[in-house]
Amino acid sequence: MTSLLLGAVMLAYLVVGLLFLMGELWASPRLRYAAVLLFWAGLGMHTAALLGRWLESYQLAALHSPPAGWAGVVQLVVFQAPLSNFYESLVFFSWCLPALGLLGFRRHLAGYLGAVAALLACLLLAYASLWVDSRIKPLMPALKSNWLLIHVVTAFLGYAAFALAFGTALLYLATERRPRASLPAPAQLDRLIYRATVLGFLLLTLGILTGAVWAETAWGRYWSWDPKETWSLITWLIYAALLHARLLKGWQGRRIAWLAVLGFMAVLFTYFGVSFLLSGLHSYLT
Amino acid sequence: MTPDSAPSPPQPRLWRWLTSIRLTVFLLLVLAAVAVVGTLVPQDQPPGQYLARYGETLGRLLWAGGIHRIYYSPWFLLAVFLLALNILACLVHGLPQAVRRSRQRLDWDAGQALPDRGRFPWPPDPDPGPGVARLLRRELGRPRVLVLPDRQVLLWQWGRFRPLGPYLVHLALLLVLAGGLIGKFWGVEGQLPLLVGEEAQAFQKEPRLMVPLPFHIRLDSFQVDFYEEGGAPKEFRSDLTFFKNGREALKAVCRVNEPVTFGGFTFYQASYGSQPGGPVRLKVEHGASSDTLEAPLRRPVDLPGGDQLLVLRVDGNFQGYGPAVQLALRRGPGHPLVFWALQKHPELAVPSLPYRIVPEDIPFKYYSVLQVKRDPGVWWVYAGFLLFLPGFYLAFLRPPQRWAVVLTKTPGGAWEGRLLGTGPRSREDFQARQERLLALLQKGAAP
Repeated sequence: MTSLLLGAVMLAYLVVGLLFLMGELWASPRLRYAAVLLFWAGLGMHTAALLGRWLESYQLAALHSPPAGWAGVVQLVVFQAPLSNFYESLVFFSWCLPALGLLGFRRHLAGYLGAVAALLACLLLAYASLWVDSRIKPLMPALKSNWLLIHVVTAFLGYAAFALAFGTALLYLATERRPRASLPAPAQLDRLIYRATVLGFLLLTLGILTGAVWAETAWGRYWSWDPKETWSLITWLIYAALLHARLLKGWQGRRIAWLAVLGFMAVLFTYFGVSFLLSGLHSYLT
Repeated sequence: MTPDSAPSPPQPRLWRWLTSIRLTVFLLLVLAAVAVVGTLVPQDQPPGQYLARYGETLGRLLWAGGIHRIYYSPWFLLAVFLLALNILACLVHGLPQAVRRSRQRLDWDAGQALPDRGRFPWPPDPDPGPGVARLLRRELGRPRVLVLPDRQVLLWQWGRFRPLGPYLVHLALLLVLAGGLIGKFWGVEGQLPLLVGEEAQAFQKEPRLMVPLPFHIRLDSFQVDFYEEGGAPKEFRSDLTFFKNGREALKAVCRVNEPVTFGGFTFYQASYGSQPGGPVRLKVEHGASSDTLEAPLRRPVDLPGGDQLLVLRVDGNFQGYGPAVQLALRRGPGHPLVFWALQKHPELAVPSLPYRIVPEDIPFKYYSVLQVKRDPGVWWVYAGFLLFLPGFYLAFLRPPQRWAVVLTKTPGGAWEGRLLGTGPRSREDFQARQERLLALLQKGAAP
């Protein structure tokens, strides 16, 4: 059921991306309006699919160990948030992009930027549903923690903000030389890169901090130099360098855009590379 | 950290170097590069692994250079230390000015010096202040009103403490680094395997180094639950009792994600193992003959063919295939053959053996493995984590804005209003606000 719904969401995001592109090329406000409307509809269905999977996961867990009382039910609901394996994290990541774009960057989410966000979300969903094991597996003991929810949510919202900064940076680099009337001015794109990066940096920091507190309660070590931790630190250092360069040295435009691209490469490696190429505490993702 | 507005006396070269952003960026790059190497080269392996993987020369080089424990190598720690020094120097360098700036309230002089953003007329009115203030409150907060003979000034400020934000963030980083250092020098951690009923007064820090505990700990019971037989583990649970001076002081349950702290040490449910609960009963088939024999742990048992069999260890759930026993078969003077025999999967037996050995009964008990640690630095780290929050809030979510409305009485009795303001870190918001404010004031002034 949820996989069918997610298929529809994927299709919706694809159409949204095309509508944004066509609206841009033909300068049609009506198409743009339709794109935003369909984007909201897709996000709604996506949310429904997430909640459906949450329910399914809860019911499976309740079969294994029926919760006792209200507190037990709430606890099990929190534990069973659909964020505990690679497939679920991909679905959530692709949810974060339209959610963050529509809620946090509504004014800017149009034209090519909207298309980038929608197509990236579509791509992530397609990858999840075609190549990743989507079965719901029982939680291993270390994952049964209240920190799972907050850790994963902050980390992936941060990734999504960095993805938006990346998309904007690409747009900046592509149009810097030939600004066009239909596109946002380069200065505006530059500010958008900065704002998305700041948001991502805050969220990534929160993700790392909550992860550290969780690791301390689960393994007795807030930092183990596990490859995932280390790569998230590398990502954090790159974005820290970006913010320092901009705020203290006044870097703008092209150089900041390239740093945003580099940072997102590090994000991608933290997410995919570490899971597939290196082994460690987070390797249950695969 | 912040560009100085007032000319400052020339500073010593070392100080300039320590507070430079160049040093920061260089150190960030070094740390990032080291971290990359540390994730590519496996850490904390025995020396043989490096020789086998990287060859004689490179393997030796990696070992000698400390790459096998890169995050503890002196030069990595040196880079971290320099970064801490760099951050500290920047704090000392810039914090006083940031404090000064955040103590500057927006007053009459500062308000008048703000850039002009627009004008509006205000009708004759003995006291226009409250009326204008009401309009400002729709867009900003409650302004401060100063009344002078021919003049009224309304002041509103937001984000006054923003300059402190970056310093709080960097202070937080220093606290985290300090906590790590304290943990490294004054903390201790290790493992404690406990059989059910066993009491311990020390734990294992390194293979041959025991650390005494200032109390006794006893494992009363240990449970491992599986989702299904031979499947993934669902929960481990150790029931512990702590004794201080021979008296029972605390009974506690230790689970994964639910550590127990007693006497300054924290115990984490780390993993578990299997121990034999008695002799293993094996069915041994040799040609046409079939025997059942009992084999105690690590004591050789004679087989009908003249060979000897030794039980090395048992496992309650060997690679998810259920109970299994590891055996050594000695035939003549050569090396013994070492292999696993599975109770539930006799079809997986080693085919080349002269015997067919099927375990019929593997009595075993699980034992608990606890992670033990004492880390006085963890509170410093957590304090740093908490300090990040107000730091980030001030630094990124309170962009400073200053607004002033100056009303001057004209000879005709009416007032001339001027809107002044700055918002250097939020130009878009500022611009939009300026337009809304001017519209509000012009509309509010109309009769």
